[in-house]
Amino acid sequence: MSKIVEIKKLLFDYIRRDEEGNVEGITTAVDNVSLTISQGDFVAILGHNGSGKSTLAKHLNAILYPTEGTVLVDGKDTSEEDNIWEVRQAASMVFQNPDNQIIGQIVEEDVGFGPENLGVPTPMIWERVEKALKAVNMYQFRSKSPNRLSGGQKQRVSIAGVLAMQPKCIVLDEPTAMLDPSGREEVIEAIRELNKKENITIILITHNMEETIYADKIYVMDEGKIAMEGTPREIFSEVEKLKSLRLNVPQATMLAYELKKAGVPLPDGILTKEELICHLS
Amino acid sequence: MFKDMTLGQYYPIDSPIHRLDARSKFVGTVIYIVSVFMVNNYIGYLIAIAALLTFIAISRVPIKFMVKGMKSIVVLMIFAGLFNLFLVQGEVVWSWWILSITKEGIDTAIKMVLRLALLIMGSSIMTLTTTPTSLTDGLESLFKPLNVIKIPVHEIAMMMTIALRFIPILTEEMDKIMKAQMARGVDFEAKGLIKKAKSMIPLLVPLFISAFRRANDLAMAMEARCYRGGKGRTKMKPLKYHWNDAVAFLIMCGYLALCIIFGRGVLE
Amino acid sequence: MSLILDHVSYSYDVGTSYKQEALKDINIVIPDGQFVGLIGHTGSGKSTLIQLLNGLLKPTSGNIYYNGQDINDSDYDRKTLRSKVGLVFQYPEHQLFEENVFKDVCFGPKNLGLDEKEVNLRAYDALEKVKLSHDYFYQSPFDLSGGQKRRVAIAGILAMKPEVFILDEPTAGLDPKGSEEILTLIKNLQKDTGMTVILVSHNMEDVASYVDRILVMNKGELKMDGSPKDVFKKTEELSNMGLRAPEVTYIVRELRKKGFPVDDSAITVSEAKETILNALYHKILNE
Repeated sequence: MSKIVEIKKLLFDYIRRDEEGNVEGITTAVDNVSLTISQGDFVAILGHNGSGKSTLAKHLNAILYPTEGTVLVDGKDTSEEDNIWEVRQAASMVFQNPDNQIIGQIVEEDVGFGPENLGVPTPMIWERVEKALKAVNMYQFRSKSPNRLSGGQKQRVSIAGVLAMQPKCIVLDEPTAMLDPSGREEVIEAIRELNKKENITIILITHNMEETIYADKIYVMDEGKIAMEGTPREIFSEVEKLKSLRLNVPQATMLAYELKKAGVPLPDGILTKEELICHLS
Repeated sequence: MFKDMTLGQYYPIDSPIHRLDARSKFVGTVIYIVSVFMVNNYIGYLIAIAALLTFIAISRVPIKFMVKGMKSIVVLMIFAGLFNLFLVQGEVVWSWWILSITKEGIDTAIKMVLRLALLIMGSSIMTLTTTPTSLTDGLESLFKPLNVIKIPVHEIAMMMTIALRFIPILTEEMDKIMKAQMARGVDFEAKGLIKKAKSMIPLLVPLFISAFRRANDLAMAMEARCYRGGKGRTKMKPLKYHWNDAVAFLIMCGYLALCIIFGRGVLE
Repeated sequence: MSLILDHVSYSYDVGTSYKQEALKDINIVIPDGQFVGLIGHTGSGKSTLIQLLNGLLKPTSGNIYYNGQDINDSDYDRKTLRSKVGLVFQYPEHQLFEENVFKDVCFGPKNLGLDEKEVNLRAYDALEKVKLSHDYFYQSPFDLSGGQKRRVAIAGILAMKPEVFILDEPTAGLDPKGSEEILTLIKNLQKDTGMTVILVSHNMEDVASYVDRILVMNKGELKMDGSPKDVFKKTEELSNMGLRAPEVTYIVRELRKKGFPVDDSAITVSEAKETILNALYHKILNE
């Protein structure tokens, strides 16, 4: 499998300046992170607020550049200026607040924004828009104003917006943080579909453990470093460690962990309630 | 308060006017505005009113909807009317205390109110039948020659598009902030100028901070979607002139000619 | 002494074609000192309801009584109402505006017309209660983290010394640990001060272990009103409204269906653990 993202010893410093522009302090937001992501993977990057996960994500889209180390997206170095647009097309980004990333007045016009920027010929824009909206199940809303949609629907439009740029990889920076539970489900469902059907690499940044159950691999970040990495099962079996990293496991996992601690013979890292019920009865 | 504003709110149906090119509608609107400023007798106003009613009928936007849009400027119209009614000098027909109404005053007041109403309704036909995006696209295309004198036409058009998208969002946000501060005991109905101005600070600071944050986020999102100005951009919905645009243009020229011939001249 | 909603209805844009019924005939009695969870989908009417309680909106019909007085009577003082019934909105960004945290918390009590000494005292007390470190008192509220901002916003209302404390989604956007900290804080405040707390949320698992009573709203109607155990029993009704009981309730019920002798009213992880262990123990004894 080809590598879509390669991060080598990435270090990023936020430099705070006072009003005169003098350096006030330096915060290392990402500290010596190396990781590789293969094409078609579903990767979750977990971490509490302020763990550096969003800063890491912004490197994949050439919004931020490494202070030290390199980031390669689809084989291209993000810190080289000539690569910017290719990098941004290969790894598109969806942000937290859907209201702040929808530009068009009408759903289909917003989805067309990316392809327009890429200089795609008009008839092909329409094809791409249609395909992207259908992929996230929003085609029937194509002529609606984004203001009339629910949070989950808006976020699906945002996903369609980057999908129309035909990326190899989609980076989602806490896409569900502002949504209610049903909106959250809609969005996660849409992401999984894209990963399975279109073989698009998904990099999901989140602090919600439930959303990572279906990932192929999870990285847990803390203080700018990768604190844990592994499959969901491996990660979820370390309940105490996750708690110390300000995270929380789903209730089924928590219950299984508590029961096991009390002496019930259960395997490590139970993810869903079905598994737990199956093992108990 | 912005909720009642129909001006600028697209009315999504299909009609011959909806189908016209945004540029034709813009030029048509300009012609109409010119005509309203040009006519100075009642025949002229009748022609303008008749034309307006015809346009509304063709656009299939309910008149009720248009009248509702007028609500927000009724105060302005009344003020302009009264101002003219009482201040224009001439043949006095009625007077009381220091107020007096003149024949000329009545005449100017009626014309002023009519003119305002026609202007607002005339231009709202354009905004009601054109999506804001095609409107800005149209303006961008019409003003493209200004690029030569270094006016960033594309950027201005993009700014308009974004502004239109964010007005309802920020309006809603303002409402929420107002409520949050009212819950902390702010009295937005306070009497007195200083008190009123003071009560605005807790509203405006969060609103500005939020607007800046949104602007920042949006800029990042646009860059992430490979936006790099107007160069090399294609259009999803390119503007195209059709035969109906030519027809519309001819009709507008005919209308303007009518106004010039019959709508101008000394009273009676 | 209580909060009473008597046949309360509310419609937006009355008299226009956009008229929308947001609340339909709501009847609720909330006694003093209760911790109430108000749950519902986006658009269920829960936000409208809390705005009515605080006098920000007036019911289209029906009455709201606080301590025996109709809060919408023309001679009822709104300012007192807003100090007695405190409302913290979802986003702290909507209320923070002063140059430093302490000043911002002073804003509410100052609006109540208290003298400066009392204002400062209350602000200090409120910031202590939300456990914000003194280091932040004179920092700009905009430089704080999400969790800290939320604490300042809560302190801003606490400083008005409310008897009824309403919080709209106080954990939205916080990480799991941050949410837990805020909820524990609220629970402790309620225990220590004896005030009534109404917590608006769409997270059942959050609510299950903290509240005494749950109100479930759907499409402007009050659909359920009862203890967490009673409400979470009705899983089917909940799912019809697009809501889910906590995960563990489904686990214990499923186990019981499979003939496992557990108490299927468990709603928290620790309750579930207890009953499952008990059941396993009995099973071993019987064998």
